[in-house]
Amino acid sequence: MIENNKKLKELKHKLDKFESTKEKIATTKKESGAGFGFKISTEIIAALAVGVGIGLIVDNFLNTKPFGLIIFFILGALAGFLNVYRVMRRIEKQ
Amino acid sequence: MAAKGEKHSPLEQFEIIPYSKTEFGGYDISFTNSSLSMIITVAVITLFLTLTVNPRSIVPSRMQLISELMYNFIAQLLSDTVGDNGKKYFPFVFSLFMFVLIGNMVGMIPYQFTFTSHIIVTFALASVVFIGVTILGFVNHGIKFFTFFYIPGVPFYMHPLLIPIEVISYLSRPISLSVRLFANMLAGHTLLKVFAGFVVAMPFFTGALPLAFIVALTGLEILIAFLQAYVFAILTCLYINDAYHLH
Repeated sequence: MIENNKKLKELKHKLDKFESTKEKIATTKKESGAGFGFKISTEIIAALAVGVGIGLIVDNFLNTKPFGLIIFFILGALAGFLNVYRVMRRIEKQ
Repeated sequence: MAAKGEKHSPLEQFEIIPYSKTEFGGYDISFTNSSLSMIITVAVITLFLTLTVNPRSIVPSRMQLISELMYNFIAQLLSDTVGDNGKKYFPFVFSLFMFVLIGNMVGMIPYQFTFTSHIIVTFALASVVFIGVTILGFVNHGIKFFTFFYIPGVPFYMHPLLIPIEVISYLSRPISLSVRLFANMLAGHTLLKVFAGFVVAMPFFTGALPLAFIVALTGLEILIAFLQAYVFAILTCLYINDAYHLH
């Protein structure tokens, strides 16, 4: 009985050791540079596309050509930077 | 692949080929190679998961272990990002993850169509997530959901500028989610075909060089296929989390 307990303890120790190495691998896994750049660029492009889309719609309905496009293009660009900032902060946290 | 034909475009693989012409209410709803690929994906997922988990052994076989790993992976992801509220959304996130993952993997089989390389497919998936999460936000917080666009601790005169920016940032979510998956798959598969073209075009046995490169690229593509499915799943989890905890 005592021997079994000892064995169990040893096994537990081994398992703990294994678990700790597993976590280390997971945290040290890094993304490639290209993947990172891609992530950032899609964030900016998506926000810009939405900004331009809203600008064109606003121009269409209010006949304010081209001011809606200009304003919402700038707002879209700022939103893109905000997205990039959020992504960066999320990565920093990890 | 056009071995003898005139076409050698690396983009030829993304062509939609309808197998039968059907129209419904003015819309073309033909059964295409994309639909076939999706049906294969769903069939593979269903068969794999049901057959491997069927024995329900305490000590799992290797195949059962794979299914359990996938289950644990998404369950862990949800509990890490959303917390206890996340359990309800497991079926949704798991189906989404498996559909994208197996879709990408099926696409890696030569001669097989990759449906995730079409933006309309990924955009439809992202839209489901976006609309669902927005509805979820309204269900949880009611009209107070709009305070999501209001950043506390900012001087009041900044709000007319910041609220439109926040709204645009929110609306850009489905686009960035879909474009990321679509562009990765499109770029990867195009690159593979471009290098495959080099194998034929290069003189003597130098074609072995790009061939070796293709082998390495295929490995990378499989990694990207998994990574993109993971990114899709984790972003869905983060958006669900946002619908629960504003800020």
